[in-house]
Amino acid sequence: MIRIEKQAWDTMVAHARECYPRECCGAMLGVEENGVRLVKAARPMRNAFEGAQEDTYQLDPAEQLAVEKEARAQSFSVLGIFHSHPDCDAYFSKRDLQNSCPWYSFVVLSIQKGEFHHANSFLPNFEQTEAKQEPLEY
Amino acid sequence: MAKILIPTPLRQFTAGKDTVEVSGATVGDCLEALTAQHADLRKNLYNDEGKLRSFVNVYLNDEDIRYLGKTGTAAKDSDTISIVPSIAGGR
Repeated sequence: MIRIEKQAWDTMVAHARECYPRECCGAMLGVEENGVRLVKAARPMRNAFEGAQEDTYQLDPAEQLAVEKEARAQSFSVLGIFHSHPDCDAYFSKRDLQNSCPWYSFVVLSIQKGEFHHANSFLPNFEQTEAKQEPLEY
Repeated sequence: MAKILIPTPLRQFTAGKDTVEVSGATVGDCLEALTAQHADLRKNLYNDEGKLRSFVNVYLNDEDIRYLGKTGTAAKDSDTISIVPSIAGGR
């Protein structure tokens, strides 16, 4: 399961609202203990997709390296990636799955009419063919 | 020896090490040496056909090896190799 501390969660929701009606993205940093991913910090990241961002996001590799460096400095791991679905449910789409990575939890935030509505977390497999829903607390 | 930076979620497979030093003439050799030292990493980086998984991007210093010589890119002792997952998506 993944548990997101309040300050990190507030950062994620604020970033998703700021980016609306475009998709936001970012990283979740923290520690993993006894099978629980505990998110202690969230880092908003740039949506690097060069096109309509209303329905697409892409991480910037240079920024990913910087976030990794920050995580190391704080003795955290990058536990997951978050992104938003503006005016749409928080499901894991085919494109989300095909461009995912099994090392991370993927939290999707549904933003409806500019406001947070609901969220879900997913764990994709190595082949990027299936993602299990993961219990999420925030 | 070239230095490979281990992504934080994969440190569990390298006994907690942030970086692993490896010998290899090319980036591909270095990655093979890494997974020879830490066998549990292999499934994370390579598919069943022995090819790098589609989400695994590799950087030599600050350059994506897809735009250099791919895994045949020459590696020097002073080089740093980074593993960066390719992540995107959308509704």
